Amino acid sequence: MLQALIVIPLLSALAIAFAPKANARVIATMSSVICLAVGVLMAWQFRWGDSGEMQFGWSMDVLPELGISMSLGVDSIALWLIELTLLLAPICVIGSFSAIKDNQKTYYAWLTALQAALIGVFAARDLAFFYVSFEFTLIPMWVLIHLFGSTNRKKAATKFFLFTFTGSVIALAGLVYVAWFNAGMMGGWSFDIAELQQAARRMNGTQQGWVLLAMMAGFAVKVPLFPVHTWLPLAHTEAPTAGSVVLAGVLLKLGTYAIFRFVLAFVPDAVVAYAVPIAVLAIIGIIYTGLICWVQRDVKKLVAYSSVSHLGFCVLGLFAINSVGVSGSVMYMINHGLSTGALFLCIGMMYERYHTRSMDEVGGLANKMPVWAFFMVFFTLASVGLPGLNGFVSEFLCLLGTFQSGAGSMGVGGTVGSLGPWFAAVAGTGMVIAAIYLLYMVGKIVFGELREPADYHVHETLPIDLNGREIGVLVPLAIGCVVLGVLPTPVLRTIEQPVNQLVQTLEDAHDHMLVRGGEDGVVVVAVWDESEGDVE
Amino acid sequence: MHLLADSMVMGQVTLAHYLLLSAGLFAIGMIGFLTRRNLIIMFLCTEMMFQAAGLALIAFSRYHMNHTGEVFVIFVLTIAAAEAALALALVVLCFKRRESLDASAWSELRG
Amino acid sequence: MFESMPALLGAGSADVLPTTVGPGWLWLVPILALAGCVACGLCLAMRVRTKAPAWIVVGLLGIAFVLTFMGYSGWDSASAQVVKVFEWIGLSWGDSAGQSLSFNFGFYMDGLSWLWMLFVTGLGTLIALYASEYMQGDKGYARFFAGFALFVFSMACLVMADNLVLLYLGWEGVGLCSYLLIGYFYKKPSAVAAAKKAFIVNRIGDLGLALGLFLTFVTFGTVQYDELFALIDQGVAGDMARTPLSEMWQTWAIPLLLMVGAFGKSAQLPLYVWLPDAMEGPTPVSALIHAATMVTAGVYLVARFFPLFAFEGVPHYALWTVGWVGALTALFSSTIAMAQFDIKRIMAYSTISQLGYMFAGLGVLSTVGAASHVFTHAFFKALLFLACGAVMHGFAGQLDLRKLSGLWSVPGWRIVCVTMLIGCMNLAGVPLITAGYWSKDMIMAEAFVTPGGQIIGWILLLTAGLTAYYTFRVFFRVFVGPVSFEPGDEHHDDEHGHDNGHGGGGGFHPHAPGWAVNTVLAVLALSSFAAIGLYFTDKPNGGFVGNLVGDSTAGYVTPYGHHGADDGHDDAHAAAEGDVRFVLVADPPAHASGDATGGDHGADGTPDAAHASSGGLILGMDPHKAMYYISAVVGLIGILIAAVLHGPLGMGGLGLGTRTEAARSKADELLPALGPVARWAQHKWYVDEFYDFLLRTPLRVLSHVFHAIDKLLVDGLVNGLGLLPRAMGSALRPSQSGVLQGYAAGMAGGLVLLLVIVLIFM
Repeated sequence: MLQALIVIPLLSALAIAFAPKANARVIATMSSVICLAVGVLMAWQFRWGDSGEMQFGWSMDVLPELGISMSLGVDSIALWLIELTLLLAPICVIGSFSAIKDNQKTYYAWLTALQAALIGVFAARDLAFFYVSFEFTLIPMWVLIHLFGSTNRKKAATKFFLFTFTGSVIALAGLVYVAWFNAGMMGGWSFDIAELQQAARRMNGTQQGWVLLAMMAGFAVKVPLFPVHTWLPLAHTEAPTAGSVVLAGVLLKLGTYAIFRFVLAFVPDAVVAYAVPIAVLAIIGIIYTGLICWVQRDVKKLVAYSSVSHLGFCVLGLFAINSVGVSGSVMYMINHGLSTGALFLCIGMMYERYHTRSMDEVGGLANKMPVWAFFMVFFTLASVGLPGLNGFVSEFLCLLGTFQSGAGSMGVGGTVGSLGPWFAAVAGTGMVIAAIYLLYMVGKIVFGELREPADYHVHETLPIDLNGREIGVLVPLAIGCVVLGVLPTPVLRTIEQPVNQLVQTLEDAHDHMLVRGGEDGVVVVAVWDESEGDVE
Repeated sequence: MHLLADSMVMGQVTLAHYLLLSAGLFAIGMIGFLTRRNLIIMFLCTEMMFQAAGLALIAFSRYHMNHTGEVFVIFVLTIAAAEAALALALVVLCFKRRESLDASAWSELRG
Repeated sequence: MFESMPALLGAGSADVLPTTVGPGWLWLVPILALAGCVACGLCLAMRVRTKAPAWIVVGLLGIAFVLTFMGYSGWDSASAQVVKVFEWIGLSWGDSAGQSLSFNFGFYMDGLSWLWMLFVTGLGTLIALYASEYMQGDKGYARFFAGFALFVFSMACLVMADNLVLLYLGWEGVGLCSYLLIGYFYKKPSAVAAAKKAFIVNRIGDLGLALGLFLTFVTFGTVQYDELFALIDQGVAGDMARTPLSEMWQTWAIPLLLMVGAFGKSAQLPLYVWLPDAMEGPTPVSALIHAATMVTAGVYLVARFFPLFAFEGVPHYALWTVGWVGALTALFSSTIAMAQFDIKRIMAYSTISQLGYMFAGLGVLSTVGAASHVFTHAFFKALLFLACGAVMHGFAGQLDLRKLSGLWSVPGWRIVCVTMLIGCMNLAGVPLITAGYWSKDMIMAEAFVTPGGQIIGWILLLTAGLTAYYTFRVFFRVFVGPVSFEPGDEHHDDEHGHDNGHGGGGGFHPHAPGWAVNTVLAVLALSSFAAIGLYFTDKPNGGFVGNLVGDSTAGYVTPYGHHGADDGHDDAHAAAEGDVRFVLVADPPAHASGDATGGDHGADGTPDAAHASSGGLILGMDPHKAMYYISAVVGLIGILIAAVLHGPLGMGGLGLGTRTEAARSKADELLPALGPVARWAQHKWYVDEFYDFLLRTPLRVLSHVFHAIDKLLVDGLVNGLGLLPRAMGSALRPSQSGVLQGYAAGMAGGLVLLLVIVLIFM
C-alpha cells in the first residue's frame, strides 16, 4: 500500500504532463483524493496494538552490492505524518484552483510529484531511499517557487535550494559515515535503517558527536532551527499558497522527523551530550524569531517567522528526551501542519483578492469578509495554543517535557534529561510572545476599520467573501484542529509505543553518560562552535 | 635510453624508433597547433597528432604481438575520417560567419 | 520542623473531604452553555436577524442554572463529588507512580465549586436576559451571544475542573472570550487594542499558572485534585519515599507561581492594567466577565489551593504577597477611581479595588471572607455595571459624569436610579442593610485579628472610606441634582433610530430601559439583599458561604481562618503587637493548635474576654465587633464627604453640597490644593505610560534590532558564504581567455607538466 502511495502520484504527475491542460487539475485532484482514500484504508488496517513495529513492509533491491534497496514500512508516527501529508495534498490542489492560471500542467504535475517524495521520506526503511526522497522534495519545491511565486521568487527558490541542499549534503556525510561504520563492522554494506541504528549506537562518544553534528547541520536547516532559518521567511513569502502550505505543513516536518528518526535513535549518547546547546538554540529561536514576527509588515512573512518560533518548541520537546516531550513534539509536527497550513491558506485567499500581503495596505477585513475572518481568527487561536484546540496539547506537552527533563531529583514527575524548569520558563515566554504577535496580526488585518488598497477591485471570479470551495478547503483543517484539541489521547496512545522505545534508549544513554562522567561529551561539545560555520 | 642506443648500434629498427618518430610527429603537430592561427592548418596539425598516436599504438601492437592496438587504430582512423568531414564542414561554416579563417576571431568563451 | 507535623495534620485532615462519585449529568452544565455557543454560531451562519440567539442562550443558561441548583441540592456537603467525563490528554511511559499523565475532562464539586457555579450560571442567565434587550439591533447580536455562552462554558470548566489542566483550559478559555467580547466592536481601534492588551497581560499570568502546574506535576506526579489534595493533606510529595512537603521548596514555590496566574486574571498589581481598558466591551460583558465572574477566578484559584498556600512548616511567601498585593491594589485603584470621570471606568477601578479586598482576605487567612465578598460583590457589581450600562445605552454612549445629572427626575429612570443606589450602598458598605458591608467587614476584621495583618487592615479601612466617597460621587453627580444631560456620540443603527435624527443637545430624548433591563436590575437588587439573608443563615456554622467554603479545599486550614476563642490566638496577637511582621512567614506553627470548629466571626457571642487579654484590640473591643462600628463610621464619612463635595443643593432636606450644574462640583475648588496629585491620579498614575516605557518600547526596539540582525548578520552570513564561490570564480576568470590557442597551450603545458612529473618521480 505504501508503494501505491508513491506510485499513484508519480504516475499522475506523468499523466498530467502528457494530458491536455484542461485535465491537469482534475487528475491532480483525483490522484490526491485516491491517495487519501488509501491512507484511510491504511489507518484502518494498521495494527495499532503493535504501533512501534514497521508495518506495510515492502522491499525491492536496487543495488544489492551496496545493500541499497527501496524498502518501505511505517510505524505509527510515520503513519500519522503520512496521513497529514495525504490530508494536505487535496487541500493544496483544490486550494490552488483559482490562484494558478498559467502553466497549470507544470504546476499540478510537480505538486503531485512532491507528494510522492514526501511519502517516500516518511515511509522509507532504507537510508539511501530516505535520502533520495528527502532531496527529491527540493526539485518540485524549487519549481513551484521559481515559476509560480511572487516578485522575488527566483532568488527565494535558489536560496531555498542551495541552503537546504548544502545542509543535507553534510547530513549525507554523517549518514554515510554510519553506513561505512556498519560495513566495517559487519563486513558488508547495508543501508537498512534498523540495522544502521543498531550499528550507530555502538559508535563511541566522539564518533557519535561528529555524526550528530553532521546530521543536525542538515536537518536543522530543514526544521529550521536558529541560526540557519533565514531561507524560510523568504521562501514562504515568495512561494505560491499551496507551496507555503506544503512547506510549512510537511516539508519542515521532514527536518524534525529526521531528527527524531536518525539523530535521536542513532546517536543517543551524543544527543544527551548535546541536548543543552541544541535546546538553547531552540529557545533562542523561539524568542528571537517570535519578536521578529512582531515587527513584520508582511502577513505571510510573519506567519513564516512564527513557524521558526513554533518549531523551536518541537525541537525542544525532542531534546527533552522524555516521553512527554517527544510525544508532544510528534504531536507538534501534526498540529503545526494543520494550523499553520491553514493560516497560509487563509492568507493566500486574502492575497488572491487584494494582491497584497502588507498590513499597511489591508486591514479590518472582518467588516467585509466575516467568514474568512472567522477562519483566520480560529486558526490564529489554534496557533497561539489555546486550550481546546490542537496547538495547546503539543505546546503544553513540549513545555511540560522540558520542565520534567532533568527534574528527576525534584519529584516523582521529573525524568532524566539535561534541560529543566528554567528552560521551560524561558521557552514559556514564547507563549506570551506568540500571543503578542499573532494578536497583533489579527488586530491589524482582521479587526479595525476597513482598509483596502487603492486599486482594489472585486476579483473576476471570486466572490467578496470565501466561496464554497475555499470554505470546503478550510473546514477539514478546522475539524482536525478541534478534534486533536479535544481528543488528542487516541493519537497520543498510538505513538506511545515507538516513543517509549526510543526514550528508553535515550534514558539508558543518559544513565550511561552519568557513569562515564561525560568524558566523551566534553570532547564533542568543544567542536560545536567550529562546525556551526559548516551549517551555513 | 640505453635500449635505443643499443638498437641504433646494432642497426636494427626497434620499438624505440617507432616511439621516437611518433613523439616527433606529435610534437610537430602540437607546435603547429599552438603557433598557427589558420583553422585549416590547425586542423591538419590535430590530424598529425592523431597519426602520431596511431603510430605508437601500431608499434605497441607489433611489440606485444597482438591486435589490440591495430583495432584501436582502425577505429581511430574511421572516426578521424568522419570527424574530418565534420570538422571541415564546421570550418566552412565558421568562415561563412566571420569571413576569416583566423582562430582568434572566435573568442566567445572568454570568461 | 517535621516533628510537629502529625499534630498539624490531625487538625487538618478532618477538613479534607472524602470524594464520592457525583451525578453523571453534571457535564450537561458546561455542555448546555457550549450548545448555546454552537447554536448562536449557526444563527450567525444562517444570518438570523431576530432575537433567537438571545432566547436560546437565556434558555440554556437558565436550564444550566437549574441543573446546578439541583446538583447543589443533591450534594451531601460532606464529600467532594467527582465526575469523570472523558480522558482529555493521556500518556504513560511506565507503570510506576508519576510515569503517566492523565488529564481528564472531569469535575470536582465541593463547596467552592458549587458556590462559584451557582452565581456564574445564575448571573449568566440574568445578564444574558439583560443583554437580550441591551444588544438589540446590533449587527453582531448572534456573535455576542456565542461569545457569551462560550464564556459560561469556559468559566464552568474553570470552576468545575477536577484537575489543573482543565482549569487551565477554562482559564485561557475565559481569557479568549474576554478577548473576543472586549473586541466585540471590532471597528473601534481602541476596542481592538484593549482586547489585545487583556489577552496578552493575561497570558503573562497564564505563564505563571502553567509553570505552577508543571511544578505541581513534577512534585506530586498528578494534577488531579482528589489525588493532589489527599497528598497535601498527608503532607507528602507523590514519590515513593513520601518526602514531607515541609522539607521541599516546591511547597512555597508552587503557590508563588499560581499566584502570578491569579494576579493576571484577577487584575491585581502589577497586572491590573488590562481591566480598565476592558470596559471597551459591551456593558453586559463588563458586568458578567469583568466584574462578577471571570475576574474572581484568581480568588477561586488561591482558595482552591489554600492548603498549599497556607501549608504549615514552610515560609508563606505567596500568602504574604497575596495579602499585601491585595491591600495595595485596593488602595491604589481606589485612588484612581476617585479621579476618573467615566462612570464605567470608575466601576472598573472599583472592581480592581474590591478584588484587592478579596485577595487581602485570602492573605489574612479569611477564605470565608474572600469568598463571601466574591459572592456579594458578584451581585452588587453586576448591578452597578448594568445600571451604568442602562444609562450609557439610554444616553447614546454618554459615560462622563460631568455631562449627566439628575436622572432621578427624568421619567422612566426611577428603577435604574433606585437599583443604582442599592448597588452604591453595597459598594460603599452602608452599615447593616447591605451585604457588601458584612462581607467587607469580615475581611477587615480578620486582617486585624491575624497576626501581622494590622497594616493590611488599616489600608483596607482607609480604602473603605475612599470607596464610599467615589461610589457616591458617581451617584450624587449622575442620579440626583439638577436635570441636565448631553448625549454621547454613539448611535445605534437599530429601531431606536429616532434618536439619531435630532442630533445633539436639546432635541435628544434618552430612551428609558425596557422591561428586561428593569427586571434584571430589580432581581439583582433584591439578590444583593438576599445575600444578607444568606450571610445570616446558619450563622453559628459560618453562614451560607462559610459552610460552602468549609466544605471545600479552602476550608482546609480553617484553624487559621476561623477565630474562635482560645489561647492560641492570644499568643498570636501578643506576638503581633510589638512588631508588625507577618507572622505567617516567620512563625507559622504558632497558632497551629487553633481549633477547627470556628466559622464564627464574632457576630454572636465570641467572648470578648478571649481577646480582651490579648493585644489585638481596637478601642478596647474585640476587633470583629469594633470593626462593625469603625467601618460603618468610615463608610458614612466617605458618603458624607461625597455628599458635601458633589451632592445637590438641598437634597433630602440635608442641604448638603452646592452643585447646581452637571459639570461643576465643589470638589473642583479643592483640586488646586492637591496640586499635581489630582492630575496624576486622573492619569492613572501614568502606569500605562510607565509600562510602555519600561516594557513595551524596549521590547519593540529589541524586536527591530533582532529583525535588523536577522537581515544583516544572520542572513548576511549566509549570503556572504553564498558569495564565496562567486568570488573564487571571478578570481579564476581571467584564465579563460576564449582564444583557442590559449586552451591548447594550457593542455600542452599540462602534458609537459605531467611528463616532467613522470620523468622526475617515476
